[in-house]
Amino acid sequence: MDGKDLTQKDQTAVESTRNLRQVTPMVDIYENDDEILLHAEMPGVKRDDITVNIDNGNLTLTGLRTLTMEGAAEWEEFGNVEYQRAFSVPQTIDVNKVKAELRDGILALHLPKSEAAKPRQIEIKAG
Amino acid sequence: MFARMSDIDRMFNAMGLLRGRFDNIFSEFDRTVGYGDDWSVVGNYPRTNLYDKGDLFELVAEVPGLSNEDLDVKIQGNYLEISGKREVEIPNGYRAHRNERGSASFTRSLTLPSEVDSSRVSATLKDGLLVLTLPKSEAAKPRQISIS
Repeated sequence: MDGKDLTQKDQTAVESTRNLRQVTPMVDIYENDDEILLHAEMPGVKRDDITVNIDNGNLTLTGLRTLTMEGAAEWEEFGNVEYQRAFSVPQTIDVNKVKAELRDGILALHLPKSEAAKPRQIEIKAG
Repeated sequence: MFARMSDIDRMFNAMGLLRGRFDNIFSEFDRTVGYGDDWSVVGNYPRTNLYDKGDLFELVAEVPGLSNEDLDVKIQGNYLEISGKREVEIPNGYRAHRNERGSASFTRSLTLPSEVDSSRVSATLKDGLLVLTLPKSEAAKPRQISIS
């Protein structure tokens, strides 16, 4: 077997300047008549390290986890990561009223629908 | 031993292959999707880190969405057991589009490198991380030996 092709590494790639692992947070997405509710799991991320961006129908969540790791590690199964995930959101979301809260490592994002997009009960007038 | 130059070449290639695997260790570390790769450990929930800080151990566990009542920690000697139940319920009046976070009950038992004083253990829960401070028992503490 000629192992050369297998082992050849691409040396022309641009050097990466970040070495933080990017991981995808697990999410639950719910909807009712008034809003879309998103729960994202980001254990260990502090409130200030979370950014939520909504731009032209694209929702981007990022969360930076920086753990204080002191002492000699006996074992380590998780480390510093960057949580990142992007979604497409309908244009009917009222961007100005989006609310987010962080509790127990779960980010809850409330995306209210704009008035025009809400289902409406049509009243039938007696003739 | 090596009759030809190509044999030596091949040996270095094999080492390069190994290096490639090591390069991937850290990228496969901490992934949340795609369990089952050679380097990852399957089914260790919750994930934990253990640090030795001299007089005490610090154990950090990832428990997103769990509150104090959902968690149970037992310690005996150098045996530690974390158990709990996580329930993900659809909020009232909502319908689910996507459900990646599942409900589960779990138990994980760990063996600490040395015995700990279970009466002085403290536990805090913050941002989805459980931090256990486990002071070592007197016999296991590091001791300064004076040389006479």
